[in-house]
Amino acid sequence: MRRGRSCPVAVVLLALGIAGCAASAGPARSGVTGEITVSAASSLTDAFTEIAARFERANPGTRVTLNLGSSSVLAAQVRQGAPVDVFASADAGSMSRLRTAGHLAGPPRVFARNRLVLVTRPGNPRRIGSVADLRRVGTVALCAPSAPCGRYAARVVSAAGVVIPEPAVTRGIDARATLGAITAGDADAAIVYATDARAAGAAVTRVPIPEARDLLAVYPIAALRSSTRPALARAFTRYVRSPEGQSVLRSAGFLPAP
Amino acid sequence: MNPGTRRAPWLLLGLAALGVACIALPLLGLVRLVSWRDLGDALGSAEATDAIRLSLWCSAWATVLSVLLGVPLAWVLARLEFPGRRVLRALVLLPIVLPPVVGGVALFAAFGREGLVGGVLYDRFGIQFTFSTAGAVLAETFVALPFLVITVEAAIRALDPRLEEAAEELGASRGTVLRRVTLPLVAPGIAAGAALAWARALGEFGATITFAGNVAGRTRTAPLAVYLLLESDPQVAVALSLLLLVVCAVVLVALRDRWWPAR
Repeated sequence: MRRGRSCPVAVVLLALGIAGCAASAGPARSGVTGEITVSAASSLTDAFTEIAARFERANPGTRVTLNLGSSSVLAAQVRQGAPVDVFASADAGSMSRLRTAGHLAGPPRVFARNRLVLVTRPGNPRRIGSVADLRRVGTVALCAPSAPCGRYAARVVSAAGVVIPEPAVTRGIDARATLGAITAGDADAAIVYATDARAAGAAVTRVPIPEARDLLAVYPIAALRSSTRPALARAFTRYVRSPEGQSVLRSAGFLPAP
Repeated sequence: MNPGTRRAPWLLLGLAALGVACIALPLLGLVRLVSWRDLGDALGSAEATDAIRLSLWCSAWATVLSVLLGVPLAWVLARLEFPGRRVLRALVLLPIVLPPVVGGVALFAAFGREGLVGGVLYDRFGIQFTFSTAGAVLAETFVALPFLVITVEAAIRALDPRLEEAAEELGASRGTVLRRVTLPLVAPGIAAGAALAWARALGEFGATITFAGNVAGRTRTAPLAVYLLLESDPQVAVALSLLLLVVCAVVLVALRDRWWPAR
């Protein structure tokens, strides 16, 4: 039957044609195409959304899907076999645990740093001036103790020699959720990343605290060994550390890597 | 029997089996995650006992409120004729289909410290629902009430009106008819509705975490504790999940064919 014989040939020709088009897509920076999934700490939401868009524009034929959340949860997902190509964490601990377990394709590189800041409701109605003042306000929003921002916040609070009773604390699952407790919730104060406070703009008032001055959150990035697109994954991590990526991070308020 | 009726049942059975698998497989997966040796320790941990105690307290209060407010509401919807009754029923049942997080946002808009009603309560009386157990109870009532209303309304509709008419003809007042005839007859329906409402309140997460917050000992009910501990203490999270699963299963089995009054 004529139809039966020419059909498979047509399909093969079509497939080759499509493959040919994809392979010769425009003047690509990295020369790779395809889709990758990037797991990134929620504090990187705005910066990485912008970086992903710029990367896609600079590399036609690529598509970056962001998976945002608490770094410790994202690392657990990778350990459980989630199909992720790149991991950008808000602390060295989550990354090093993956490294020890052999999930990384190469050594992690620090691409940014961040500070913590105390934020209050606009205008600081409770006149909060220090970490010690957090004991006398209603409810303080902090990240979950196992999340990087929760661990950093705990260090800031203990550095101030203060203990905030748990019934006065509402825990956010990640940095953005914690910020949300004060911008879209009734929390009186929160300890969040400086970049998140900046993103919140006039919705919060920032209170600089000396205990946070020396504490720097360190953000490493690495391509993962399980990636099905290793070249594209490496290209993305390079882009994050490139001048273009760094300028996006700078405008979001991140500090440069040492 | 023609070929059509002989073929149809297999396809039907196949799809039905797929439907069962859709639900059964995740639940079996959960049971597989449980470390039976450590189950006692996990459930006895501080986080678990706090969460369980808070869950029981809040869901009990939410059920009581659902019954107190829901039974009269169900009676109004079942027995009274008034313009806009269908709209009112749709409104009352809305939380069943509304995404719980959206419910939490709505509750915050109404009862937050700067909310419609919450603002007045806070400024005048210093009452705050957010970050309080009362807020958790409110969130659970919001999602559980419709389940009680829908169950009791159906039960009231299913009553034979002649029983109430006979009581009236014998000289009983409207209140007496309600107390001595109607309510005793729908008592099984109220019990079923209360059980359903309780199970729903127990499992509430989105509205609670968005409106009442995630405060240990005050609003961190079992589902919130599971969420928080998933990564840091998976054994406790899985143990709590299993407990919630078992409780809900027991409630549903106990309700059996009463669970959805077919009329």
